[in-house]
Amino acid sequence: MNDVYILAAQHISSQTPLCEDWMDAPRLYDDAYVRAIDPDYKRYFAPNTARRLGRILKRALLTSQQVMQTSAVNLPDAVITATGGGCMENTEVFLNALTPEQGELLSPTCFMQSTHNTIGSLIAIETQCKGYNSTYSHKGISFECALLDAFLQLENGEADTVLLGAHDELTSNYFRLLCRTGYLGLSPGSFGGETALALMLSGTPCPQALCRVRGVEICFGMDPQAIRRTLEDFLQRIPCDSGEIDAVMLGVNNREANDRVYADWCPVLFPGQRFLRYKHLFGESYTAPALGCYAAAVCLHRQRIPAHLCSGDAPMGEPRHILLYNCFEHKNHSFILLSSCGK
Amino acid sequence: MDELILKLKREIIDVLNLEEVSPEDIATDAPLFGEGLGLDSIDALELIVLMEKNYGIKLKDPTQGRDLFKSIRVMAEYIRENRTK
Repeated sequence: MNDVYILAAQHISSQTPLCEDWMDAPRLYDDAYVRAIDPDYKRYFAPNTARRLGRILKRALLTSQQVMQTSAVNLPDAVITATGGGCMENTEVFLNALTPEQGELLSPTCFMQSTHNTIGSLIAIETQCKGYNSTYSHKGISFECALLDAFLQLENGEADTVLLGAHDELTSNYFRLLCRTGYLGLSPGSFGGETALALMLSGTPCPQALCRVRGVEICFGMDPQAIRRTLEDFLQRIPCDSGEIDAVMLGVNNREANDRVYADWCPVLFPGQRFLRYKHLFGESYTAPALGCYAAAVCLHRQRIPAHLCSGDAPMGEPRHILLYNCFEHKNHSFILLSSCGK
Repeated sequence: MDELILKLKREIIDVLNLEEVSPEDIATDAPLFGEGLGLDSIDALELIVLMEKNYGIKLKDPTQGRDLFKSIRVMAEYIRENRTK
C-alpha cells in the first residue's frame, strides 16, 4: 500500500486567488453572498481559448494548470472532479432561454457546457490526460467522494498522480433558491461562497509535499454513538491515536441550522479537542470541505495555525495531525486525517 | 447595407464572446472560418441560431452555411434578401 501525499494546491475563492495570503491577511465579509475573486484570466489564457469558457471552467482550468506547474507533474494519471452544482451559470442561461424560445434556438455553447462532467472533460482535453476521468456530484459530500476515489487509486498503485478538483459556482439566482431551501441564509458571519480548488495528489513521497493524506471515511447516520464507533474504527485502521490529533477542522458556518449538529456531537466525538474553522473565510458551498482540506494542508506544511482559524483557544504550536470533520444535512458525515510529512 | 454590416459585426462579437475584438477589427470581406476570425464548427452553430433568432432565417440545409458564412458581407447580403424580421 502506498502513502498518499498532497503535492500542491491552488485555489480561486473568496480569498485572494492563487496564493496563501489568507494565512496572514484574510479577507472578511459581511455580505451573505460573495463571489470568488477572479484573477485576470487574460494573463493566463489566449482570447480564443477563454472566450467560450464559462466562469467555473476558467477557474477549473486555471487552478489545474497552476497546480500542475507548482507540482511539476506535466501529465497526471487521472483527473477526478467534485462538483455539487456543476456549470450552474451556463445551465441557467440555457434553461432561461427554453421558455421564451419555446425549446428552440438554444445556445449550443451553453448547452454543451451545462453538464457536470464538462469540467473534468475540459481538464482532460487541455492537459491531454487520457487516463481515468470521473466526476462526483453528491451535494455536500462531493469532495470527500472524489478524494476517497483518488486515495484508493493512489494507495493501491493504480495511479501515481491524480489531479483532484473541487469546483462550484454560486449565481445570484441559485443563491436565492438555496436560501429558500435553508441551505444558505442571512446569518451574521456566514456567507454563500464559491469553490475552485485543484490538488495534485501523489503516491510517491516528495520533499515539497504539503502533507500526507492518512485516510478518508464517509458514513451515513443520525446516531452520534454509531458515528463515534465509525470514527474510532477509522483511526484504529490508520492507525492514529486520538490523543495525537492536534486539532479538528469543522464545517461550522455560523448558521444555527448547520452548526447545531457540531455543537451536539463534537463533545461526543472529540472530547477535549481543539477546533478549527474555515467557512468564515471561504464561505459555504457544496464543495467547501475541499477548501477546509486545503487550509489544513497549508497549516501542516507551514507548521503553524493562524489564530483566525481557531475556535476559542489560542493558536497551538507546530501541528502534526489535523482531522477534518464535515457533516452535511445532519446525516452525511466525513472524516479526513491529514498529517505533516515530517511525521 | 453598411448599417446592417455594423450591426451584424456587433452581434457576432456578442454571441461568440469575442472580448478582444471590436467591429473595426473584423474585415467585412475576410473569411470568418479558418483564417480571419478563426471560427470553428461550434461557432457555425451559434451563427445559425443567430440568423434565425435575430432575422427569422431558418437554414434547413446545413451545407448552406459553408457559402453563407464566407464573410460578413456575404452574410449581410443574404440577410437583406431573406430576412423575415
